[in-house]
This record gives sequence, structure tokens and C-alpha cells, in this order.
Amino acid sequence: MPKVKPRVKSVKDLAELRKRLRSSAKNFKSKLTICGGTGCHASRSQDVIDAVKKELKKRKLEKSVRVRVTGCHGFCEQGPLMILEPGNIFYCGLKPEDAGEIIAETILKGEVIERLLYTDPVTSNKVQTEAEIPFYRAQDRQLLAQNRHVDPCSIEDYIAIGGYSALAKTLAEFSPEKVIEEVKISGLRGRGGGGFPTARKWAECRSAPGEEKYVICNADEGDPGAYMDRSILEGNPHLVIEGMMIGAWAIGARQGYVYVRNEYPLAVKHARIAIQQAREYGLLGDDILGGGFSFDMEICRGGGAFVCGESTALMASLEGKVGEPRPKDVHTVTDGLWHKPTTLNNVETWANVSPIISNGAAWFAGKGTRGSKGTKIFALTGRVKNTGLVEVAMGTPLRTIVFDIGGGAINGRAVKAVQTGGPSGGCLPLDRLDLPVDFDALYDAGSMVGSGGIVVMDEKTCMVDVAKYFLAFLQDESCGKCVPCRLGIDRMLEIVTDITEGRGRPEQIDLLKELADTVASASLCGLGKTAPNPVLSTLRYFPEEYEAHINEKRCPAGVCRELIEYEIDAEKCNGCGACRRACPHDAIKGKKKEAHVINSRKCQKCGICLSGCKFDSIIVT
Amino acid sequence: MKKYVTLKIDGAGIRAPKGSSVLDVAIEYGICIPHLCHVPNLSDIGACRLCIVENIVNGRSKITTSCTLDVQEGMVILSNTERIKKLRRNIAELLVAQAPNSRAIQDVAVRCRVKEVRYPFRNSGCVLCGRCVRVCEEMWQARAIGFVGRGKDRRVDFPFGVRPDFCKKCGSCIDLCPMTITPCDGPMKPGEEYLCGKCESQLSMASGAMEDICVWCELGKGFQCARYGHQ
Repeated sequence: MPKVKPRVKSVKDLAELRKRLRSSAKNFKSKLTICGGTGCHASRSQDVIDAVKKELKKRKLEKSVRVRVTGCHGFCEQGPLMILEPGNIFYCGLKPEDAGEIIAETILKGEVIERLLYTDPVTSNKVQTEAEIPFYRAQDRQLLAQNRHVDPCSIEDYIAIGGYSALAKTLAEFSPEKVIEEVKISGLRGRGGGGFPTARKWAECRSAPGEEKYVICNADEGDPGAYMDRSILEGNPHLVIEGMMIGAWAIGARQGYVYVRNEYPLAVKHARIAIQQAREYGLLGDDILGGGFSFDMEICRGGGAFVCGESTALMASLEGKVGEPRPKDVHTVTDGLWHKPTTLNNVETWANVSPIISNGAAWFAGKGTRGSKGTKIFALTGRVKNTGLVEVAMGTPLRTIVFDIGGGAINGRAVKAVQTGGPSGGCLPLDRLDLPVDFDALYDAGSMVGSGGIVVMDEKTCMVDVAKYFLAFLQDESCGKCVPCRLGIDRMLEIVTDITEGRGRPEQIDLLKELADTVASASLCGLGKTAPNPVLSTLRYFPEEYEAHINEKRCPAGVCRELIEYEIDAEKCNGCGACRRACPHDAIKGKKKEAHVINSRKCQKCGICLSGCKFDSIIVT
Repeated sequence: MKKYVTLKIDGAGIRAPKGSSVLDVAIEYGICIPHLCHVPNLSDIGACRLCIVENIVNGRSKITTSCTLDVQEGMVILSNTERIKKLRRNIAELLVAQAPNSRAIQDVAVRCRVKEVRYPFRNSGCVLCGRCVRVCEEMWQARAIGFVGRGKDRRVDFPFGVRPDFCKKCGSCIDLCPMTITPCDGPMKPGEEYLCGKCESQLSMASGAMEDICVWCELGKGFQCARYGHQ
């Protein structure tokens, strides 16, 4: 690679650069792709990477084996992950100690190491390639699949796989109107949660009066358990940048901002490097690719509040003010950042733009349902076997995601409910899992696609407690500006807390519903408008749990502390004493080899004894 | 030259200057929409949400605050439907449960027809309407006070909790504070968790006679209704 990077001045330059990059990639005999996404990072993938590099250096193989550290591959449950080429061999659950063996056996001799392969849980067979793993088989990975071919810190990788060709195509062939038309035909809807038609937003922004316009990428992902945007921005930042450039060309903007959550340091770093590299190549700046289009962008780190993901709050935060939403009676497409017309889209929406341009609108519209096109990335978490990132075509039933891809609930328990759409989404019961993931279908069922979090809950989950958890989260994150959101959520939480602690009264259910309606209808911004969803959906699908808490002062799932008792089944207990030793409150008494007893007055119901007992003798009533 | 638009509020055809808000226009024409955080000549933030109205766009009703909504040609506004009345009552109930001793809040609650409060009372000294913050910033350009914290921790305070030199103790903030306007003389003590009923607002509530249309009510004077500000 030359030290001084050539400026890409025209579409021809770009094509030549790509050709050169591709031929230089052939110098490597084999390739090692190691996942460096946040999930694998947490399972010590950095140690694996270091060990592999050290081993290669020792054997003097650095020149012939390329090690590529990429963004998230999605299967975070099994990390750290590695893919070896040639052969497309997929190794998972790696440890630094495996590095030597992998180089010696697989790289040098071409032999597959059986114990590092993935085991199919159904057939117990060892599986060699990614495509054979059930987790990947049911997916349709359009955006995520690119992650494995790209080192996020290398623009060369991105250009080599065809990056920035959509931009070149746009500048050379498409007028701004044609781009908007193309996006309109594709049927792309905003992936941040609202599902607003992207083309309509762009068209409104384009026709809004004013010379100066802005594009913003919303990467302030705050939902508990969701990390779709993080994985794209960390793993493939140029895809987002390219999408934003095409969007900027369409609406007539010269400046863009990426508003990244401050808690995503790796995403901030990678996006920053990507912008720097694009500038060096002349892909950002004046007269891009000789097409007379000038555009530049900046990174802005988020304010650390969930509400900063709301468009007007985000813009206020970007302007340097307190991240509080303001009324949207005039839309941000005409009165946005610094009172200029502004188009704000989510990371995933921007990431979808360049594939639409390169593959054509019909390709994108060919996937999904009538109202929701394309694919959507979901973060599958909770009590499910295969947690990770899942990308499926819109319209895939929730059941497929939870059972075929997710593998069902852990510990052999039954799935009870699935919560979609983040904290302001809804909980759907098992019999609603045949619903397709589609903006309208989920909305009608009292939930939403939202940004794409899916939390699986098993039978040991109390739905009233779930409602309480999300209300507490939203109450913490409400900015407190408007009355319904600040006081309404607070009062809802007060009532739900009463119910979980045994002070619930039957008439409070109606009050809760009325309050939920008020908060949803009268709040200032989206946070308040959707905040009652967890309560409303659990009330709708699990009314019997609320009734049990209120009328019988009983928690059917055995979760709500005030309503449960811990007891020891004297027949099953063999007096091993594990629970007695584990109990931090000294509440368990008993002699060796005799049944133990829990002193209910001392018991703090922490549940530590449960994990200590190997004989299932502790019962929660 | 002033430009005018025509719109309908509760069925009445109204000609209003372009750029004015629906709330201002409604009050001008005698349609009293209850409000708390709106003060004439200060910017509107739509925080108290009491002035919500239904804005009918293409046959679909959209609920929004009238103070932040600018008049537009051909607009159809409904300020007093059953739905709006119910929402407004619930919001006022939340407010009065938070500050049951404020005469001004009680008056607003009565205007919104709150007859009972279904939540435990909290004797909070501030309902975060932001009148004080805005008058300090916009009228006097002092910014001596502002909002601190978020959600439940949100409060009005001096920068870093210390009164700055540029606060001239002009008292405008106190003048506009709904908690200081004729405070209730029967402060709530523990165990006395009910609206004390000593204010005249409670008397009118008992009689049940409250017009939907503004009659320059004495109640409005109590919480410095925008209409009195126009005099």
C-alpha cells in the first residue's frame, strides 16, 4: 500500500483503485477473520487476536496470512469467532491458547480442528461453515454479512468489496429527484422505530426553503439490550457514511453529523477513523469524484441521555443545548438543526441506502411485506439460547426469530412472552408469536418494531415486574419537561409498585389504564407517547397476573419479593448444607444430613440459596 | 402589512394575524383554553400540556398544545371535545396532586373540572412550569436561574446552586410563580391529605356551574390567565 494516499478524483480513479486493491489482496495465501465486535471483545477476543499475531510472527507468516479484525458477526453467544479462508471454516468459543494449533493445523496443513467447530444442538453434529449453523441459516443477512469482509479501520477493504460505487453511480447517473424516486420505489421506512417513509422525509426536506441543509445520522441507541446501530457503525462505518452522502446529494445538504452515543467508544473511534480516511481519499470534501458535489461530516458524541435519541432533543444537544425535546408542530425537515431544514435518519436506515442504489430499488422491494420492505436487524436477548444480532427479511414471524434462530428459552424452560421494540415496545404472549415482524402488524398488536430489540422472557418472568422495570427505566430517562410524562410515568410506577408489593387495589387497574391513555396522548415527545406501552400490553395480554397480585396477593412467577416465601421441601432436602453456607442473611438452619428450614423472618428473599441447591428442594411460593 | 389567515376554532370562523399562536387567538376571541406555563410575551415551551387541542388535519385528529401551534389558513381546531376535556382533567389532576396547596394550581384544576384526586398528595413546592426561568432569561436576559437535572430530579436552581451577581433580585420570577400567587392559607399537614376547600375555587366547584366559554372569570385572575395579561 502506498504511504501517500492517492486522491480519488473521478469515478474512473475509484474503479482503478478498486482493481489495484483486489489484485494486491491475492498476495495473501490465506485469511483469518476474527470478530472484534463488542460482544466478542467481552469474551476476550483481543487476547485471541494478539496470540494469533504473535504466533504468525514467530512462524514468519505475516506476509502470507492476512489477519482481519472485523466488526460484529452477530453470533455473540459463541464468541470469540473466527473464519478461516480458504475453506470458509468457522471456529467459535476460542481461547488464546488455541492460536498455535489453528496456525499449525488449519493454516499450514489445511486440517480442520474438530473441537473448535460449532455443534448443532439438535443433531449434535459438528458444523464446519457458517451457512450450516441454524442461527445463520434462517437469516437474510444483507447488511451484517458485509461486516466479515471489512476491517472497520480500513477504507481499502470497503472499496475492495465495492464500496462507494453506489455513490459513484449516484453522482454520475442520478439526479437528486431520481435518487428520491428510487428510494421511494424501494419502500424503505425509517429503521429507528417510527417507520416513517424515508423518501417522503427526503422529498419534504429537499423542497423546504433554504440554501443550507443538514443530514444527521442518529446513532444514539439507548434501548436496554439493543446494539444493532452500534454493530453497524463499529463494523462498517463507511456504509453509513456512503448512505449519508447519497442522502445529502438527494436533499441538497453540504454538511452531515453523526450523533453517536458516548457510551460507544469503539463506534466513535471507528467512525472518526472512517471519516478521516474518506477525507484523505478525497471522498469527503469539495467536488467529490469530480461530480461537483461537496460534502463533509463530523462526529458528535451524545449527551448521555436516552431522550437524546428523540430527533428534536438530539438536535438541541448537537447545538450545544440541553437535550430536551421541543414541540414538533413544525417538522424538523423544514425547521431542524439551527432552524435549517434537516434530515435525520437512523444508522440502519442510512446503511440501507447504498445497497438500494447499487442493487436497485426492485431488489430491496422484493423482500419483506406489503407495507414493510427489506431486511431488519434485531438484537435478540433475554432468556434465549442464542443471543446475538439477527437480520431477517421483514415479515418473518417472531416465532422463527425466537425459536429457529434463537433456539428457544434457556434451561429447558418455556417461552412466556417476547418484548419487542425496546423499553417503549410491548410484550407479546406466546400465541401472538406468529405475527410477522412488520411495522403495521406489530403496532396493531400493541407492540412495535421499534429500533429492533427483542427480549425473550420465560416462565420465571413476572409480567407486572417487567412493566415496573420498564417504567422505572423510562422515569429515569424522561427529561421531565412536560407534565404527563414526568408526573404520569411517576404515578404509573407508583401504582405498579403498589401492585407488586401487595398494596394493589382492584380500582387501580382502571386508573392505570386512564393514566396510560393520558400519557400516551398528551405527552410532548415520543418518549412519553410510547412510555405506557409496556403497561398497556401486559395489561392486555396478561391481565390474570395483575389480578393474582391484587386479589390474591400472589406472584404467579415467584418474582415479586413482597409476595413470595422461600421454603425447603423436607423430602427432597438431604441436608448437604449448601444453602445454609450460601445464605448471606443467616436465615437457614439445619443439622448435617437432616432437612433444613428457612426462617421466614430472617429471609431477605435474595434467592442465593436457590442457585446453591442441587436437589431442587427450595420452593418459591 | 399584516397578513391574515382564516381558521375555525370550535366551529367559529376566525380571522387571525399570521404568526400568532392558536392559544393567543382563542383567548382573544373569548374561547378560554386552560393553561399554566403560557405567559404573554414569553416564548412557549408546551410543558404543562393543559392547553391541548385537537387539530384536524385531513380528517385525522392530532392532539397538540395550542400555545406552540401557529395559526394556518383553513385550520380546524377543536378545543373542548370530550376527549380533550378528559385528558386535560387527568393532567390537572396530576398537577394538583403534586402541589395541592397552591391556590393557582387548584384554580386551574377547577377550570379543568377536577373533582377528586386519585393519587396520594405530595406537597411539592414547584411544578416546573418554567415561567420563572423564561422570564429571567427572556425578559431580563439574566439567566440567573435555570433547570437542573432531568426527570424526577429536575428542579429550578441557580447555576451551581449559588446566586450569581447578575441576579438583581428583581423578583419577576416570584411574580410569575403559580406557587406564590395567593398561596393557600391552610397548608397541608400530615394526615390532612385533601384539598382544603377554603379557596373560592372550591366553592365554585361545589356549585358545579362553570362555563366552557371564558367569562373573564375570577379564577383566571388567580393564576394570571393570559387574558388578564392582555389588559
